Amino acid sequence: MSRVTTATRLGFREQTRRPLLLVLLVGLPFFFITRSIAATETLPRTLGLPGGGEVLTNMRDIHGTMMAAITVAFLVGLIGVFVMQSVRQADRRLVLAGFTPAQALAPRLLILLAAAGLVLGVSLAVTALSFTPRTWLVFAAGTLLVGITYGLLGALAGAVAGRLGATHLMLFGAMLDLGIVQNPMFGTGEPPSWAMALPGYGPGRVIVDGAFSDTFHAGGELALSLAWVLVLGAAVAVVLSRLVAIDDREPARRRRKAHRLPANTA
Amino acid sequence: MIRTAAFTREQLRAPFTLVLLVAVPVIFVVAAAGVLGDFARAQGGSLVGDAASSLAAGWAAAFIAGTLGFFQATSSRGADRRLALAGLGPARVAASRICASMLLAVIAAGAALVALLAGTGVAHPWHAFVAVLAFAVIYLAVGVLIGSLISSPLEGSLAVVFVFLLDVFSGPGMAAEAAPYAISRKAADVLIAAGSGGATDTADWIRLALVTGGAVTVAFGAFVFAARSRA
Repeated sequence: MSRVTTATRLGFREQTRRPLLLVLLVGLPFFFITRSIAATETLPRTLGLPGGGEVLTNMRDIHGTMMAAITVAFLVGLIGVFVMQSVRQADRRLVLAGFTPAQALAPRLLILLAAAGLVLGVSLAVTALSFTPRTWLVFAAGTLLVGITYGLLGALAGAVAGRLGATHLMLFGAMLDLGIVQNPMFGTGEPPSWAMALPGYGPGRVIVDGAFSDTFHAGGELALSLAWVLVLGAAVAVVLSRLVAIDDREPARRRRKAHRLPANTA
Repeated sequence: MIRTAAFTREQLRAPFTLVLLVAVPVIFVVAAAGVLGDFARAQGGSLVGDAASSLAAGWAAAFIAGTLGFFQATSSRGADRRLALAGLGPARVAASRICASMLLAVIAAGAALVALLAGTGVAHPWHAFVAVLAFAVIYLAVGVLIGSLISSPLEGSLAVVFVFLLDVFSGPGMAAEAAPYAISRKAADVLIAAGSGGATDTADWIRLALVTGGAVTVAFGAFVFAARSRA
């Protein structure tokens, strides 16, 4: 336990040495959510709510709602890519020094959660300046689920696709999923049926429900979101534990191979 | 030439990079084609039809090239200093790196343009090609400039995202009037005209060439500065 505490404390200290990161994590959501709401016209728009209802609102409110989700998705996704990529570099040394893979990964996950919390807090605070959701708790829960889902996706993408590929996947993924497919600003005002297959569907519908409905109708969508989080969390734990654990076993393998070599060649 | 090829191979070593360079612009152009007109109208812009779709190709090429330029500049900083010290010189290292990124940016821009031409009836395809390429080159320069100034991948890629979104939301078609700091507005003007069948006069071409050339010059200078020996 003390190992995890020490590694977590050092991990947070490492983040405090990066003031530009803090500026960007606060400045980006503030600027883009404020600007999106201010620049959008109040054109009337009917959108479909979870549970089958409809509501007449306007493009400005919808854009403000979805921009918070898009911003949280790509920012936390990118944090997931780069925080977890450092597992490959620094944390393999921790494992060699005696940490278990879980002890090495826990501080990274805590840093990811803290960064997600910061981005979420700023995004919700900025949204509150210009738009009041009907049910704050549901709206905030949906946005949190977007952040966790995309943070985990970013961690997986960083492990599989490299930094460049993962960066492309996170920005375009968030834009396509939450910015276009799930966005009630476009089409009929409701996502198409195939949109359910995307990770943004569940949390996107929870956000819409919280933003525009007084009563909660998105139980199925919430369950779907939680299922995504559980599956992605398990996948991240397996992939990253293997990344760290393989490096731990490598010297022993090399020693065994070197030990066997004379017998085989004899 | 050999150096450019080696630097290009280095970027393509990660799995899926080439696939993503082609697939991401194509998927984005196809998906955004149907909604950009609605989005522009909500933002007080005037884009409709094929002109709106054209802009999606420019944006896709721009973001791909921006991140490419950033990672090209930042991921190899230590190695490039050693190459420059070993006799290659910072200018030649910078030229090879930027040429390698440009090669990959042309692939991404080509993929975006093919998706655009397949899905819409762009009135002036060659004008559209030049404009999409200009988007890619301007953002390549932005990425290289940021990569020369910021070494951390997270902060740098967030800075590229910041410039990109600022430009996108303030550019022609998306705002009632394009902001002066929208760096790709000349490329966007030509691209929108190409998509809607409008003419682009000589002065606009010259302005586009000046903006693109200026961006590459600034990025080259920053890269040379970052690659030179501090010993």
